[in-house]
Amino acid sequence: MRVVIAEDSALLRAGLVRLLTDEGFDVVAEAGDAEDLLRKVRAHRPDVCITDIRMPPTNTDEGIRAARTIRAELPEVGVIVLSNYVEDGYAFELLGDSAEGVGYLLKDRVADVEAFVDAVRRVAGGGSALDPEVVGRLLGRRRRDDPLEQLTPREREVLGLMAEGRSNRGIADALVVSDRAVEKHVTSIFGKLSLPAGTDDHRRVLAVLVFLRA
Amino acid sequence: MAGMRALRPALAGLALVAAASGVLLMALVMTSDHAGDRWIPLVLGPLIGWSFTGTGLYAWARRPENRIGPLMVAIGFAWLLAELTSTDVDVLHSVGLLAETLPWTILVHMLLAFPSGRVRSRLERGFLFIGYGILLPLQLLFVVTFDPLSQRCGCPENLFLVARADGVADAAQATQSAVGLAGVLALAWVIARRWREAQAGDRRALRPVLLAGGVTVGLLVVTLAADLTSLNDTAEEVIDVAGEIAMGAVPFAFLVGLLRSRLSRASAVAALIERLGAGDGRRGTLHQALADALGEPDLVVAYRVSLPDAGEGYVDADGAPVDLAPTPGTVWTPVELEGRTVGALRHSAALEDEDPGAVRTVAAAAALALENERLQAELRARIEELRRSRARLVEAADAERRRLERDLHDGAQQRLVALALNLRLARSRVEKDPAAAAELLDESREELAHATAELRELARGIHPAILTERGLGPAVGALASRAGVPVEVGALPGERLPAPIEAAAYFVVSEAITNVDRYARAAHASVTVERVNGHVVVEVRDDGVGGADPAAGTGLRGLADRVAALDGRLEVRSPAGGGTTLRAELPCGS
Repeated sequence: MRVVIAEDSALLRAGLVRLLTDEGFDVVAEAGDAEDLLRKVRAHRPDVCITDIRMPPTNTDEGIRAARTIRAELPEVGVIVLSNYVEDGYAFELLGDSAEGVGYLLKDRVADVEAFVDAVRRVAGGGSALDPEVVGRLLGRRRRDDPLEQLTPREREVLGLMAEGRSNRGIADALVVSDRAVEKHVTSIFGKLSLPAGTDDHRRVLAVLVFLRA
Repeated sequence: MAGMRALRPALAGLALVAAASGVLLMALVMTSDHAGDRWIPLVLGPLIGWSFTGTGLYAWARRPENRIGPLMVAIGFAWLLAELTSTDVDVLHSVGLLAETLPWTILVHMLLAFPSGRVRSRLERGFLFIGYGILLPLQLLFVVTFDPLSQRCGCPENLFLVARADGVADAAQATQSAVGLAGVLALAWVIARRWREAQAGDRRALRPVLLAGGVTVGLLVVTLAADLTSLNDTAEEVIDVAGEIAMGAVPFAFLVGLLRSRLSRASAVAALIERLGAGDGRRGTLHQALADALGEPDLVVAYRVSLPDAGEGYVDADGAPVDLAPTPGTVWTPVELEGRTVGALRHSAALEDEDPGAVRTVAAAAALALENERLQAELRARIEELRRSRARLVEAADAERRRLERDLHDGAQQRLVALALNLRLARSRVEKDPAAAAELLDESREELAHATAELRELARGIHPAILTERGLGPAVGALASRAGVPVEVGALPGERLPAPIEAAAYFVVSEAITNVDRYARAAHASVTVERVNGHVVVEVRDDGVGGADPAAGTGLRGLADRVAALDGRLEVRSPAGGGTTLRAELPCGS
């Protein structure tokens, strides 16, 4: 899988390249700022690009803006945005009206190599990866007549993993249960929350997130 | 006031003299047989004389300090004298001839002097010279050479006739008319200019005077022009009568103008005191009362205040700074109370001319009320200053937080993430490639050292640990040892000081040393922190290029706010080329 990396800290950039190379990715280009990233993504058309959110010249939200440009211009290129802290607002801004090929992760996650690599693979394959912290915050929101109260603890876990962008397979692996069990939970959750049932993982993520955000 | 008491009977005496003279003049004219149209001198003569003396005496009594009143009285008497030409008695007729042009000359004098009563400029003095120095001598020349008998008018004899010289007399009269005509036209121009330059308060007073004076002077011009061109007698007569009637209206216009211009000083002060006594203490009451008392709608009241930040200065009632630079046509008069200047009034310069001392008298009467408002204005100014300083402190705190966040984000946080990554990579290599793992671990240890060093620096920027732990002396010593130029540490307090004082003193030294390193191009600097009279005095000197501007940078501004928050004072002396001294005085109870 071909990857482009944008990160202004040379140290971290080098670490990321080493990690991804170790894991069998092909890092085709590295960029130090958003302009550079856009140029290299257009040139290389990678499967996925990974970008820091805050980069020169203004050190504000260059990464988010570049990610949206790439998503609009080259929908087949997956985009993962890394940040030192995560905000729901940024996550939804990045998702727009589709959860396909997009990721938004806390920078610290890179040290958890398996989970990080899994997220990169998912996004490169058109899936999504939303940081557990964002999902945790969405789930923990106070709601009036909270429909989430009807869920069992296990169902809440499954809902959270769905929101992160994991497939049934991924959820089953994470919870060490069978695929069948996961399917049952999913059907139950969709019933309780009155969400339209569907098997498409990508659309399922967006439906769950929109529900959680409402 | 003793002068006032002596004045009244004298004025009453003058009034009697004027009345008697007028009656006498009437009697003399009635018995005269040479005046052509007898009713003109009979009725208009005394009437005009009386109107001038009467209104003049009233103005004199109301405003003894103003010379317009005496000038009007003088015109009245001069007019009565000039009317003596209509009498039959040789000696009176002769005196009348001598005085013929006098009332007009004094009228011009009064027009020039209105409303102050004084003639100031060289140009105006020039007019007086033409009047008194040229026209009157010409009249004298006319009188000593003019023989009325030559006119076959049945006039009495001219007792002052020295030698009959018709040519000289005619020339004298023609010259008089020509000079008078030119002078009056120039006067019209001077007065028009004065009108344009007048302030709103003065125009009100000038309007009636200029109207009546203008009409009279206009008719005078026509008369003089007629003299020069020898019009026919009837036309000349009509113009003469019209001129005299207009002349009779002049004193009343002057009186209206004079009374309109300002109240008399005594009544203005009385009214002011009454209003201030009844005042409800609302903002603007004092200003309105003073403006009314002085007849100055554009009056500006400024209060002298002393502010911790801005120092001594003047503010308006809202506490906003006032610039004491005079604008054209206005002057500032200080208001004093018990020997202190508590404020200042800006008023038109004409007011001071017209009624010298009036502003000071009114100011003295209002000084106590002004002091009262001054304290309120000072309070408002202080609140405004505090508000600004507080806003700056909040802003500085925000900027500091942004800087800290950025430093953390770009520094330690990135390093720690990279470190976690390295450790994870090392872990995965431990078995397959122990040498690579060891290299990664060495790298990680180095990163960790960098990260802790950065955190330490950052923490010191927020609040130096040594200051908390060991106090100001060791903390200042640490600053000095890290400076880019040799810094000599002088006296330092041996004991611990209250934490806010220590912190402020520390940051004064820290900012000063940072500035020395960055801008001063100094070879040497010194620091002292001493306790003097219940104050902690921090002083940092360098021998650099000087020229530091406390208003330019945010650093010094922020320091000044920090020091002001403790009721202290920050002073920067930085003459170009003369090094920089930063001195902070912080109150610190012993």
